[in-house]
Amino acid sequence: MKRLNKHSAIVDACYEIGATGWFLVVLLVAIPRSLRYLRETIRQIWFVGAKSLIIIMISGLFVGMVLSLQLYYTLSIFGGTSALGTVVALSLYRELGPVVTALLFAGRAGTSITAEIGLMRATDQLSAMELMAVDPIAFVATPRFLAGLISMPLLVAVFNMMGLFGGHLVGVNWLGIDNGTFWSNMTSNVNVWTDVINGEWKAFVFGAAISLIAVFQGYNAPPTSEGVANATTRTVVWASIVILALDFVMTAFLM
Amino acid sequence: MNPRRSYVAGTGLFILLGFVALAYLATQTTSLVNYQGGPNYQVTAEFLNVGGLKDRAPVKLAGVRVGTVSSIVLDQRSMEAKVSMTISKRYNEIPEDSFAKIMTSGLLGDQFVSISPGGSREVLKNNSQIINTQSALQLEDLIGKFLTSSGSSKSGG
Amino acid sequence: MVRVVELSSELSGKKIFERISLEIPRGKITAVMGPSGTGKTTLLRHMTGQLHGVSGKVWVDGLDVAALERKQLYALRERIGFLFQNSALLTDYSVFENVAFPLRQHTRLPEILIRNLVLLKLQAVGLRGAAQLLPSELSGGMARRVALARAIVFDPMLILYDEPFVGLDPIALNQVLKLIRTLNRELGITSILVAHEFAAVRQVADWVHLIAEGRCVASGTPQQLAHADSPWAAQFFGGKIDGPVPFQYPASALDEALGFVGPSS
Repeated sequence: MKRLNKHSAIVDACYEIGATGWFLVVLLVAIPRSLRYLRETIRQIWFVGAKSLIIIMISGLFVGMVLSLQLYYTLSIFGGTSALGTVVALSLYRELGPVVTALLFAGRAGTSITAEIGLMRATDQLSAMELMAVDPIAFVATPRFLAGLISMPLLVAVFNMMGLFGGHLVGVNWLGIDNGTFWSNMTSNVNVWTDVINGEWKAFVFGAAISLIAVFQGYNAPPTSEGVANATTRTVVWASIVILALDFVMTAFLM
Repeated sequence: MNPRRSYVAGTGLFILLGFVALAYLATQTTSLVNYQGGPNYQVTAEFLNVGGLKDRAPVKLAGVRVGTVSSIVLDQRSMEAKVSMTISKRYNEIPEDSFAKIMTSGLLGDQFVSISPGGSREVLKNNSQIINTQSALQLEDLIGKFLTSSGSSKSGG
Repeated sequence: MVRVVELSSELSGKKIFERISLEIPRGKITAVMGPSGTGKTTLLRHMTGQLHGVSGKVWVDGLDVAALERKQLYALRERIGFLFQNSALLTDYSVFENVAFPLRQHTRLPEILIRNLVLLKLQAVGLRGAAQLLPSELSGGMARRVALARAIVFDPMLILYDEPFVGLDPIALNQVLKLIRTLNRELGITSILVAHEFAAVRQVADWVHLIAEGRCVASGTPQQLAHADSPWAAQFFGGKIDGPVPFQYPASALDEALGFVGPSS
């Protein structure tokens, strides 16, 4: 009985994008009301941010290490291995840090937000809050949205630092590039505003997009186990597409 | 410590760690490292051609960084590029007749201003101008010279 | 206390109520009964302002629920306790924090006062010892009692019980019955029960409304309804398979569906 023809798939996608957009407005309007639930936002930063630290740090380390290996090989073709520090740092700050962290964040925190809110809906917890005169948008949805927004730039900074450490480890301690060259080349070519801060902007926007999608999917999941499972999958799919698309747009306009 | 407080502390720790990482990246791995805080003075020099020299390029003396290029503008009267440099006050005994050259770090690296000290007793002060300059070496010019000289040697032989 | 006047209502295109009217007296236990799917829970959701009817009005304590602004509605809800069928405890808070939740959200009471209030309410439902457990560690009956403690933490004027007897063993059932009775008799809390277990309801209810097909088809004391001659009451309380509530979901004729009689012939 599934309508699988192309037409309805496109209409469904448009509907979903539009509904997500409206939900963003709802969340933003609820921010003043959710300020009295500051404790809940802090708790969510703990759950989505602090608890993602380990995976982010390990991934950052390995991404930095492999980046160093690959770029060393490429640069050695042109005899420019002294630029390794610069290239590793720029790749991390401008592109890999925000994007890889965002994809990991969507898988680690986005899915858990969707599943949690979906189950809260299925077990009437959201209705219960409404009946206890607590607005579930302000108490459940907005704090999670804000937590994603706040956590992502911090996670990206940690990811970049670990990546740089990994890159340094491979480039200097293993491949034998001079430590001074690595750092001085990097510090004379990496710019705070166009590289570090623009990367953080990306992280901020990705964080907003992921947590918006995750909260929206959870909030609108059908209250069945199948519905929650599908919503979790859709969170990952939509978040990944949106991250990569936004990445292109932001790179084109910001950098 | 009761559990309600411990996650607040954990969250605080996480936020702190994030900001420390960000501060580290911003100040220790970028050109901010080379930012000369504290007192400094301005020196200018005019070059026929600055090549690929950019704002915030380093100014070095004997390979040691002493300052940064703060602006590059075209002087309409002399039709030369006027390069302003910010030099740290720590280096306040650079002779007035020093020689400013635009050099390239490595074959394809970035360009910077290199100062070779002269012998004068007078030293550079705020707003002094370095008279003796040498423009950037243009790779294209070099290759052109090489080609013509090898061509002429062939015809001569 | 609650007056429903000529309420008509739809849920996703399906008609639920058709000009239903009923009245809930103050200080009494009133049961709303009826076959599954007649919208008993929907009726409760009208009283809390979660749903709005197409026409008609719902008055709660003299307030027209549908006309209230968000703030007034939330103020009204603070005076209503609601017991969910599946308890709806917040899963990542302990029993204590669940009961304390409304207090923490709406008051700035000092911690010691909150603690004492919560422990008193938990004592009332007999679960003071379970204060530090998580909802996942509770049995269904215990969870419902915790939810009840949470519903009464503000000493509401009205409690709505949505299917409070479903899935309870006889011991837990009697505990819940006793609690409902105690809360009503000793604190004077008006109670509305949505249920379909007549045996349990007749032990506590002062008044029963029987709704079916979007209308209130019979009202009376449990004793009156048990012996009423309305066909609805007779079928429901007698538990007969067929009657005004059909066994068959509306469908085309069987022989036609099986192809014995062609639509053309």
